[in-house]
Amino acid sequence: MTTDATAPGLGSDPARTERQGAVHLLRELTMPGVLALVAIYLIVGLVTMQAPSNADFPGPRFFPGIITAALIVLVAVQAVAGIRAWRRGTLVELGEDEDVRRQSGLSMEAGTRSRLDVRALAWILGGFLGFSFLLDLLGWVIGGALLFWCVARAFGSRRVLLDLVIGLTLASAAYIGFDMMLGLSLPSGILGGGF
Amino acid sequence: MEVLGSLAEGFGHVLTLQNLLWVVVGCFLGTAVGVMPGLGSSMAVALLLPVTFALDPMAAFIMFSGVYFGGLFGDSTMAILVNTPGQASAIASTFEGHKMARAGRAPQALATAAIGAFVGGMIASALVVFIAPVLAALSSQFGPAEFFALALFAFVATSSVVTDSAVKGLLSLVLGLAIAVVGIDGVTGAPRFTMGSPLLFDGISLVTVTVGMLALGEVIYVACIARHNRREQSVRATGRPWLSRKEFREATPAWLRGTAIGLPFGVIPAGGSEIPTFLAYGLEKRLDSRREDPQFGKGAIRGLAAPEAAGNATTGMSMGALLALGLPISATAAIMLGAFQQYGLQPGPLLFERAPDLVWGLLASFFIAMIVLLVINLPFARLWAKLLLIPEPYLYAGITLFCALGIYATSSSTADLLFLLGVGVLGFLMRTFDYPLAPLIIGMVLGPLAESSLRDALMSSGGHPGVLFDGPIVLVLYVLMLGAIGLTVRAKLTGRAGARA
Repeated sequence: MTTDATAPGLGSDPARTERQGAVHLLRELTMPGVLALVAIYLIVGLVTMQAPSNADFPGPRFFPGIITAALIVLVAVQAVAGIRAWRRGTLVELGEDEDVRRQSGLSMEAGTRSRLDVRALAWILGGFLGFSFLLDLLGWVIGGALLFWCVARAFGSRRVLLDLVIGLTLASAAYIGFDMMLGLSLPSGILGGGF
Repeated sequence: MEVLGSLAEGFGHVLTLQNLLWVVVGCFLGTAVGVMPGLGSSMAVALLLPVTFALDPMAAFIMFSGVYFGGLFGDSTMAILVNTPGQASAIASTFEGHKMARAGRAPQALATAAIGAFVGGMIASALVVFIAPVLAALSSQFGPAEFFALALFAFVATSSVVTDSAVKGLLSLVLGLAIAVVGIDGVTGAPRFTMGSPLLFDGISLVTVTVGMLALGEVIYVACIARHNRREQSVRATGRPWLSRKEFREATPAWLRGTAIGLPFGVIPAGGSEIPTFLAYGLEKRLDSRREDPQFGKGAIRGLAAPEAAGNATTGMSMGALLALGLPISATAAIMLGAFQQYGLQPGPLLFERAPDLVWGLLASFFIAMIVLLVINLPFARLWAKLLLIPEPYLYAGITLFCALGIYATSSSTADLLFLLGVGVLGFLMRTFDYPLAPLIIGMVLGPLAESSLRDALMSSGGHPGVLFDGPIVLVLYVLMLGAIGLTVRAKLTGRAGARA
């Protein structure tokens, strides 16, 4: 989002130069980059699509074609807007609420830079990946308890034993409620081994 | 009256012990999730979507409506006590509501909000009973061109009117549409964007996308970013949660005015109840400034009563639009539309003919949900606030566990879990960079309708685009679309300005 209104009268605001690092530009281009990948996937799909030769004019490629074109145009617009905001130093910081900023007289606070908590991200992603692959082996109850512990840890909880106990309780309750009572199927894993 | 007869039958369906139980469960869950800081009703509905596969459609939908309305009641509790609205529609309630709470009138503020939501929801539900069949009859004359116009209406309104950045809103919408085109093409049978993998032949599951976007994405976002720059102050509510007669007299006109503002927005796909709540707030503020003793800024009861009533009036009416036209005006409504489709039901005129039990039962359940919600919110709002005592790590760890449960239980496949994680990361990125999520959900749900109606219209005309603008209903829809965009943009500008001053 461009914030043209902030441009005038801010001269040599320290908060502005603070926002012009390479990392800010990279960050601003993350979403356009991801969306560009989606556009490439769509283009490849459009080219390789095997449409029946007898299909009438608005065939299977018609609607996706419109979407792809729109996506490419919008990504370009967004990327240019992001680069221009970066040059002016008016990018929004991570987690900064633009509404709040606009309401507080359009001023930017210096030194309120917030960062991505990489460790939290790693705990959640790692925990979830491990859970996905080990679920059949460990079973729902143990796997779920471990997932619970990983996410709680990502949120800063350091009481390993308590977290695991709560996780085990919750996972068991879910197992009883959904597998046994509602009839959804959850893996029993090593706990149910041999039975 | 035929309508009342059908409604009475609907009550007959709902007033069974089992269905009443689902209404109450839905109301409790909705309120609980709404009360949690930062969580709104769309997340509650998304998390419950997989679970409902174990229920019959009737039970599922009355539970959904309980959750939907309950989320609104719960959101305002949070907005008032902690100044953190769970959904955009509760923002307008924070302005005067939180001031009232800070001034030691928290119980009165909670009561004002609960009664306001009740009044708005009740009036809207009553109107829906009469209007929905009329709308359904009208929409039975719709052809492909009309449905395409309707879908376009919803796309344009949700992606550009409601959001701050039209480009980001449209990007989110296009991404949703792109997700919707994956899978076998319904007309020609050609596989599209599947990379030859049979996993993608059926397309990408709406359940996975909504749970990943709205729930898992939120968990990652809070863990990595939001948690680190939060400052909030909770106010304890003590004292009797009843309004004095004077306060009641003061709030009543605001409740009614708010309801009147909220009602029309339920059928206009302008993104849900955010705009009407701001409009209602702005109107009360202007009326207040003309009084001898302006109350705004000091915790004006009217400044809370009007937006609450408006928000629930819009939500109630939007259920009418959803049932009769198949038109979702918010992300939550879109998820419910998706749920209908999972059961093989297509909301719209045919739903009233094919599944009248379901429609009228659902409508009847709205009234029951309103009463249940008033009962569990008016005297017990303080108890709900105790949910805040759940430590954050356990709250979010529990949500994550529930996401995994829902997805795995419906498919038993590791691939779906990995896909959920991927969508969750995408949702996290979109939140981080301020991309609205509602357009994506609406694009994904309405995408197939837009595509099939567009292709049907063009095929029948031999490829002439003129057919899209042919016929009085279509033209009325496009004129309405332009009018609604103009009005909402203006209303938003003035409403925001009023809120800021």
